[in-house]
Amino acid sequence: MSSKKTVIRFFTIADYEEEEMWLHNQHKNGWKLLKMTPPCFYVFEKCTPAEVAYRLDYKNNTETGNYFQIFKDYGWEYIGRCIGWLYFRKPITEMDSERDDQIFSDNESRLDMIDHVIKTRLLPILIVFLCCILPNLARGVETSEPVTTVFTVFFLIMALLYLYLILYCGLKLRKLREKYRKD
Amino acid sequence: MDQKIKRIYVPMTESGFYILFCLQQPQHGYGIGQKVKQMTGGELIISAGTMYGTLAKMEKDGLIAFEREEETRRLYQITELGKEVLQLELKRIERLYQNSKGEEIHE
Repeated sequence: MSSKKTVIRFFTIADYEEEEMWLHNQHKNGWKLLKMTPPCFYVFEKCTPAEVAYRLDYKNNTETGNYFQIFKDYGWEYIGRCIGWLYFRKPITEMDSERDDQIFSDNESRLDMIDHVIKTRLLPILIVFLCCILPNLARGVETSEPVTTVFTVFFLIMALLYLYLILYCGLKLRKLREKYRKD
Repeated sequence: MDQKIKRIYVPMTESGFYILFCLQQPQHGYGIGQKVKQMTGGELIISAGTMYGTLAKMEKDGLIAFEREEETRRLYQITELGKEVLQLELKRIERLYQNSKGEEIHE
């Protein structure tokens, strides 16, 4: 009988390398990823512990039919998708060279993916923050009627949350870009 | 040739060059990867994501075109524009090589 577990773990759009490592360690401890449910639920199934490379690709639903065939040919098992991200895995023992455990072999394609994340994920968050949350917060602060207080508090919390996310993801994605531009 | 194409692809990445070079014969993504591995003695590995991304970009820019489907694999082939870009690159690399050897260049 197979046993399952569901784990709640939150990774931002800038933490995909940590997420890959975490999934790798789960498999090493005998838990293979079955599926993800947005935003942050991971379902695992008990398995024999193994060294398996997990990789995330961000395509935001722009991939064509050819995409999965190429990954399959290269020995990558497609697990599923979650908010624009595609999850793949490949046993490390099958690899004939160290570099085969990567889905990107040059920095140009790594940077392309980061830019895609910035354009289609970070930028919309920034726009919502500037055009929706901040104006609503400002309006709430100006009209200090008791009815609007609840909304003001709500938008204040939202503003802080967005600000934190934008700064954290923005700085981290910039760091990743620099890392891949250098080596 | 469009100046934009020239700016993007001359010079191109090593992976990009080998992919375009291999597509003088119809080939699919994984096949190109295998061929490049063989041509470079295992020195140059093109991973799945890089292969897909490069093919998709080159197809969009008209350097390569879909040729036919074999089983479920898409085979691509170089276009006239792709050949022009490849020639520019070959010329550049040849000049680079000759200069590095201290040879005289005959244009």
